[in-house]
Amino acid sequence: MKTVYNVHTIWLLMIVLTLSTYFMGKLGLSGIAVVLFLLFTAVIKGGLIIRDFMELRDVSFLWRAIMYGWLWTVCIAIALAYIISL
Amino acid sequence: MTTAINNIEPKLLPGDLAIWFFIFMELLVFGIFFIVYAVMRIENIELFNHYQLTLNRELGAANTLLLITSSYFVVRAVEAIRVNNVKSCIDWLYAALGGGMGFLILKSFEYSDKFSEGINLSTNTFYMFYLSLTMFHFLHVILGMIILFAVVHKAKRGGYNAQNYTGVETGASYWHMVDLVWIILFPLVYIIR
Repeated sequence: MKTVYNVHTIWLLMIVLTLSTYFMGKLGLSGIAVVLFLLFTAVIKGGLIIRDFMELRDVSFLWRAIMYGWLWTVCIAIALAYIISL
Repeated sequence: MTTAINNIEPKLLPGDLAIWFFIFMELLVFGIFFIVYAVMRIENIELFNHYQLTLNRELGAANTLLLITSSYFVVRAVEAIRVNNVKSCIDWLYAALGGGMGFLILKSFEYSDKFSEGINLSTNTFYMFYLSLTMFHFLHVILGMIILFAVVHKAKRGGYNAQNYTGVETGASYWHMVDLVWIILFPLVYIIR
């Protein structure tokens, strides 16, 4: 059975998430909820690239920890910097 | 006595291990760069918010779509070589290179626009970060394209097949890293305020 979750739908999902990011910028939205939403969107897209495009879903924990750790650390640090500045 | 061990071995990293150490180092550098941008913004919020509005969000979004789609094409190239379809692999890689070229062209338009206004690295802190971050990434797109070109060149000479495609995975992994970095760079520099 063909699953709905495949590289084609993942690509489509990332396109939709990118457009949502663009439109939030175009509407001039700001504030902590918007910042967190935009960063969470980036984490989702980054996670999809790491898991499904780079194909790291079944590699050893160490490699996944490095990649996902990088993604979350950078986004959380950016979020904290923006929260401080609000 | 025998012991039943349910031991499922994790997969190896796709491609050459050396490229992964290179990728980890690249990510570390970009990660530090992103965090420094966010921290420097704390001291210059009004400046960053004001000049961020001068950036071309449309080109930034279009470039994001190009890189994501180009990454998807590379995934298709890897799938093709795994079933020994060399021609399809080469076609998908050319499509990915087209996406990369599109990115470089749009980014060049963006830079040309800014340079014609007399903007450079010393204009202000925001532009210093905008230009250095995006140009650093721009260079990585070029390097990624050179790697993909080398993979295409070897594939055309029959260097890859369903049993031997490590080089294709190596090039693909680097190209995905270029995409991954832009996924954070785009909202950080162009959108979030």
